[in-house]
This record gives sequence, structure tokens and C-alpha cells, in this order.
Amino acid sequence: MSSVVVESIGFGIVDASIISIGAMGFSLQFGLTNVFNIAYGTVLTLGAFAAYLAEQWGVVGWYDVLIGAGVGVIATWLIGKGILATFARRNLGLFELITVSLAVELVVQYSVDAADGEQLFSYSFDQGRALRFLGMVFTVTEVEIIGVAVGAFVLLECLLRLTRTGKALRAVAEEPRLARACGIPTSRIVNVAWVLSGALAGVAGVVYIINSLTVSAFTGTDFLPLLLAAAILGRAGSVTGAVVASLAIGIATQLVAAVGGTGYSTIAGFGILVLVLLARPGGVTSGLALKTEVTL
Amino acid sequence: MSFSSLDFYLATVVVIFGVDVLSAWGLNLQYGYAGIPNFSFIVFQAAGAYTAAILTLGPMTATSGQTYVAGTHVPFPVALLAAMAAGAALSAVIGVFAMKRMRADYQAAILLILALILNQFIVTDTSLFNGTSGLANVSRPLGSLVNPSTTGWQWAYAALVWAICAVVLFAVQRLSRSSWGRALRAQRDHDAAAAALGCNVVALKMQVFVIGGAIAGLSGGLLVFYLQAFNTASWGYEETLAIFVSILIGGVANNWGVILGTFLVQIVFVEVPNLLPQFGYIGLVDALEWVVIGLLWMAAIALRPQGVIPERRVRAERFGLPALRRAPPVAAAAAAPGQQGAHEERLGAAGGASRR
Amino acid sequence: MLAPGDLRPLVEVEDLVVSYGAVRAVDGVTISVAPGEVLGIVGPNGAGKSSLLAAVGGQLRPTSGRIRLDGVDVTKLSPHRRARRGVVRTFQDTSEFGRLTVFENLLVAGLGMHGASLYAATVGARAQARRTATAAARAAELLARFELEPMRDTYAMELSGGQRRLVEVMRGLMREPKLMLLDEPTVGVAPHLSEQLRREYRRIAASGVAVLMIEHVLEVVEEVSDRVVVMDNGSVIAEGTYDEVMQSQAVREAYLG
Repeated sequence: MSSVVVESIGFGIVDASIISIGAMGFSLQFGLTNVFNIAYGTVLTLGAFAAYLAEQWGVVGWYDVLIGAGVGVIATWLIGKGILATFARRNLGLFELITVSLAVELVVQYSVDAADGEQLFSYSFDQGRALRFLGMVFTVTEVEIIGVAVGAFVLLECLLRLTRTGKALRAVAEEPRLARACGIPTSRIVNVAWVLSGALAGVAGVVYIINSLTVSAFTGTDFLPLLLAAAILGRAGSVTGAVVASLAIGIATQLVAAVGGTGYSTIAGFGILVLVLLARPGGVTSGLALKTEVTL
Repeated sequence: MSFSSLDFYLATVVVIFGVDVLSAWGLNLQYGYAGIPNFSFIVFQAAGAYTAAILTLGPMTATSGQTYVAGTHVPFPVALLAAMAAGAALSAVIGVFAMKRMRADYQAAILLILALILNQFIVTDTSLFNGTSGLANVSRPLGSLVNPSTTGWQWAYAALVWAICAVVLFAVQRLSRSSWGRALRAQRDHDAAAAALGCNVVALKMQVFVIGGAIAGLSGGLLVFYLQAFNTASWGYEETLAIFVSILIGGVANNWGVILGTFLVQIVFVEVPNLLPQFGYIGLVDALEWVVIGLLWMAAIALRPQGVIPERRVRAERFGLPALRRAPPVAAAAAAPGQQGAHEERLGAAGGASRR
Repeated sequence: MLAPGDLRPLVEVEDLVVSYGAVRAVDGVTISVAPGEVLGIVGPNGAGKSSLLAAVGGQLRPTSGRIRLDGVDVTKLSPHRRARRGVVRTFQDTSEFGRLTVFENLLVAGLGMHGASLYAATVGARAQARRTATAAARAAELLARFELEPMRDTYAMELSGGQRRLVEVMRGLMREPKLMLLDEPTVGVAPHLSEQLRREYRRIAASGVAVLMIEHVLEVVEEVSDRVVVMDNGSVIAEGTYDEVMQSQAVREAYLG
């Protein structure tokens, strides 16, 4: 393998870590609620801005991740329980809900854009020295980002497999009707999913800004298709699937970038999402096998 | 503001209004009548605009200062037809994948992402249509009849745009009121049932997708000859959302209502603010416009998902049945007690496109 | 008059399997329905009844097995092609075109494939006008027969559950079907309409249409069906007249657990 390819794989792993944090959250949220919540992207943006503002006020370093998580939870709660659930109560279908979430995305994104004067903001974070590993190059910060992703993954898996709430969560994602019939408090479980996914979205936003060192009102929206692709490719509701798919997508897009330039890597990332949506069995099989129920 | 600049501005608004009404009719055929959530509609307008531009810019030279493919000189009407064909052809290609039977929200997401991909692609591959800078110096057509640098030309062009609008309105009304239009609406409300009654649903969707794409291409061609320039910023995915909101506000599956909706959204909300004294930094007004459009969208979905002006009821008298003595439908619904709850629930659910 | 069953079966389902991933919803079912016969399918929830009906209607692609209509293999035909061969169906959740009037619902059914043809609607407008006139006359007849004339200009989404069911059945009759598939045709229907519907189902069968019906209400099954098939876990566990299957040991076990 040429060194360019190996290096790209290294960059891909870093990208995949950021993608996977967001994708795990989206996967949980989408798997449980069945709502294709495009406004998830703005939560990332808000998380990243929270980190930026925290830095301006002198809170620096990894504390920003906690602040981002908190902002993510609040924003997701407002969007999910405040807006989407209100619309779902009016008996709107899957399509109307995706349009509402898109409208929320538009409103929040351009409100931020209007408030911040359409700027690109710089964030500073010491990236540490470069480390070499099997021909790949990582900075200390990048290794720490990978660590955050691995940590989030391990924590989530433990939660889902070892705790009562986690098991109930998986049951609701698999078979909402059955779970309700078995007496699982669906609405409480869905609330847990909103909180978890919000925290993950916020963390993803902060990790993104730590890595790229810039943020604008459009950061989350631009990054969103990659998260969606990973979450849906890895099967909605499956955390492990989201992580594996994130790795594949992160590495694939970096390889495309190495060959064709960064513009094409964005195209490749978005292209993967389109292919995944077209090919995903849940997306295309016959009407009777489709899950159309929304749980909010 | 002097008289001549007001005159200039008014003519521009009339042209833009016409172009926006055209696109809204195209999208209304797809979304309002057929239930296709075409979030990449603006892409087909762009296809028409770029096609019309390169077909009249002439071959690219070292001094033209912009890069593009297939430059040539064709007459204005041919360029417009080619713009339509480009919109239709691109629709046909995308339709093959996107018109398959699938979850409505997946389909919406696919079309939205396609719009992002294609825009990014044109930005990245500058050899096609000059990247972000886009194409400029498109010459105004019909210069031999009216001097193109006068407001007289602008008004003449506005008249042409609206004449084309009249023709397109006639066509879309004929189509949407035909048996084909009825089949479209039927599959929008329940695709499996329409198929079970012998309608080829995929073919129906494909046809309306291509027809809508042709109208989008035509609107793009008309727009580029007026603006004389076109770039990637003119066709962000948000532009499609503005057309959607015009339809939601004006009337889903109501082509007259769509004119009103387009006027309210594209003219009152988008164009008039440009007349106001500029405040804040450059771009603040634009950003606020999108915030308002998003809020309007949510309000429209919350209050009346079928549009403010509803679809026209087609009465059986049109088909030669004797006139009906009005019996209030409510009385009949009340005649089936115990059904009321389910009835209400379905009423709410029936607002949207087919959700199967 | 011929008794049902004397005729060659109109629809023959042979060793049909429908699977979702690892789950076999329909597991080797063989049934047939003759013209003029009503075959009732009963069984507990999840027995595979709806999947069987969907496979016959073309909404689901079977994993293996064969479906023949009038002796022709239709297993791989899409729903709209089967519809053109005389298959109509109702859906478990009623399938009215909500934002079309009752009359338009009937017109769409009456015109069928011609209605969905862009060519017929534009270039062939004259022939289409003739077809539309025929369909409108037929719709007027059906509206009178089902006493829904006052509702003809009402949007279907404004109807009661029972009236929606009537519209579905009328839509089927607009097509002069050979095979009618009914998925729980009396569920959510007010008692007086249910009676009317049951009479209509018998009348439809009497006109020579083969009817395949899923129904939970045993009273309806007893009244309407000529023959009954009991399904459990994707397989047929009993077949015969209503009285015969109700006495079967296998059926009692399936129902009582």
C-alpha cells in the first residue's frame, strides 16, 4: 500500500470517530422514534458554538465537551419534545415530520447565521505533537478524539446490554407495539433516547470544532449527511452498526479526498447516503413490511 | 428612489414573479397532485438555466474569462426548448432511482441530498459551468426587436414570461383535470390501492416527475436570459423550500392558489425586503428571510397541511349526472355512531401524502 | 344452477411461502377458490392471513410457490397487471382516496389503466371521453344500489368507517372483477352498514365472482362463507364448511392455546 493510502486511512479513522459519535446518537433517536429528524444537524452546530463561547469566557480544553453535551441535551429536548412531538400529536405522517424537522433546521441555522453575522469563527485547541503509528500520523488531540468515540461507544453498549433501561430501549427500538404491550413505559424510554442522542450530538459538535478549529452556522448541516449515512447503513437503533458504518464512511471519504480533492470527498459522503437510502431494505421493501409508526 | 430605477425594479419583480409561478406549478404537479416530495426541484431549474446559457454564450475562448462546456450559438426559442429538455432529461435520470416505491421520508431525504450533491459537484468541477463564480455575460434575447438596455426591453420580456405562464397554466390545468391527473391524485392518497385498481403507479410518478422537470427547466431558461448570469448560489436547496412554502400557503393541488402563495412568499417576503432600507450587515436580511420561511412552513403544516386554499372539488355534475339536492355530509357521518372517533382520527391523518 | 366447487377454480394457490427475513409468515399454503364461491380465512393474529392475501393481490412477492389465475401463472406479476386480469381487493385499513370525492374514487376504478395513461388523457381524449361516460353511468348505478347518492360529491376522507368500506367495495365492482380479496371487510363498520355489506358480499359472489375473505367475526364468516380455511403459524390447519372446521380438534387447540 502506498503511504498516501495508509495516511488517508489514518485521517479516515479520526473522521470516523467524529462521525460515529453523532451517528450513534442519530441511530438511537431514529431507531426509537422512527422520525427522520434533520434538525439533528443544528444540534451539532449549537454544541460546537457552545464550545466556542465557553472558550471565549475562559473555559478551555476538554471541559467544553461537557458544556456541549449539556447544550445538545437541551436543544434536542426542545426540538423533539417541544416541536416534533407537538406535530406528531396532530397525526401527521412521516413525510410531514421530516419537513417539519427540515423547517426547524432552517430556522435555527439561519437564526444563528443572523445572530453571528455570517462569520466563520476560529477556535483554538492545542493539537499536541504528532505520533506515528503503522505509517499513519495522529496528533495527540486526534488520539484523544478517538478515545472519546471509543469511550462513548463502550459506555453506550454497557448501558444497552447491562442495564434495565438499556434493555427496554432496545426492545422499544425493535418492536414498539410489542414493547408497549409488555408494559414497558415507552414514553419514558423515548425520553431517555432523546437525552442520550442530544448529548451525543452536542459532543459530536464539540469534537468537530476541536478537530477542525472552525465553526459556522452551517457546520452541523454540512456534516449531517455523513452521520445519517452511517446511522442508516449501520441499521437504525444499532450502536455497533453505527460505529462500523462510520469507520467505512470515514475511510472511504478520506480515500476519495486523497485521490480527487476535498470537494469530491463531500460528494462521496453524500453519495453513500443516497445509495444507502435507496438500498436499505426498510426503505424499499413492499408496503406491508414497512414500519410507519411514530413514537414520540 | 428615482422613477426609472423604480420602473426597473418593478419590471424585475414581474419577471421573477412569473418565473417563480412557473416553478411553483411544476412542483405543484409533482408534490400537490402526485405527492412526490421533490426537494431537489431547484436542480432542474438550474439545469435549464445552465443549458440556456451555454447554448447562447458561444464557444469558450481564452478571453471569455469563464470555463464551460459545449458553448454554441442557437436562437433564443431553441435555447428555451433545450432548457426544458435538459430539465426533463435530468428528471428522467434521477427519477429512475428516486421514483421507486419507498418510505416518503426516505424519498424526501434522497432528493434533498441529491440537490446538495449536484450543487457541490458543480462547485468542485469548475470546467463544467465555471464553479462558484458561475456563468455571466449571457446576452439578452430579442435584441433586434427592442433595445436590450432599456426598461422597455424588460417590460417586453416580462410580457413574454407571462404569456408563457398562460400557456403553461392552460397545460397544467388540462393535465391535472384529466383522468391522468385524477389517477395521480388517487395514487398520492393511497398508492397501493391505485395499483390494485390497475394504475401503473411508478409510470405515473415518472411521467409527472419528468413533466415537472421540463417546467423547471423552462423557468430556469427564462430566468437566465433576464439575469444574464447564473451561479451555484442561485440554486441552494433552500430555494426549493421557498417554492414548497408557496405551495403549502397558496394551495396544494390548486394552481390558482399557487399564484397567490407565490406572490405572498416570493414577492412579499423575499423581494419586498430588498426595497426596505438596508439594516445590519449585508446578508442579515437574507438570513432573516429564511428564518421567516421556516416559520411559515411550520405554521402551514400545523394549521392546514392541505394548503390554505383547498383543492377544487370535482362534482359529479361535470360527468353528466343530474344535479344533487344538497344534503349536508355531516348528517350522514352522524348516522354511523361509534365511528365518530375513528372518523376524526382519519381526518387528521388524511392530510398528507401517502405514507405507505 | 351450479353449486360452487363444480367449476374449475378461478384462483389456485400452490405451496405458497412468504418470508420476512427468518420469519415465515406464510409457510406452504395451498388453497383454491371457484367462481361464485366465498372462501373465508380465519385464524389468530399473526397467522399469516394478511400476508397470504397480499401475495395473491401482488402487494407482497412470495418467496416460493405459485399463484394461478384462470389457469395463468401470475406469481411474478405486479399488482396493477393482476388488477387488469380481474383481481380487486380491499385493505385492512380502508384505502379510500381521501382527497377525491366518492364519485371520483369510482371513476378512477372504472377507468383503471386507461385513467393512468398520459396518452389516453391527451392524444386519445375522444376515446377517453367515451370510457369516462361509461364509467360515470356505472358509478351512478352503483351509487344508487349502495344508497350513497347523497355522498357522491363528498371527499372520501369525510366519510364514516363503514361508508369508506362501501366505497372500497364499490370501487372493486366498478372493475367487474373475477376475484375479490377482502381483508377484514366488516371491521369498524356500524351494525346497519355491516348487514348491508354482508348482503352485498353474497350478492357479488352470486354474480360469479370468486371471493377470498379474511374475517375475525365468526358470525360474519358463518353467514357469508361457503367454505372456511383456518390458518395458524403460516399453515392451513383445517379446511371445510364452517361447521366442520369449528368442530376440528386442531382449530380448538389453536384458538384456546
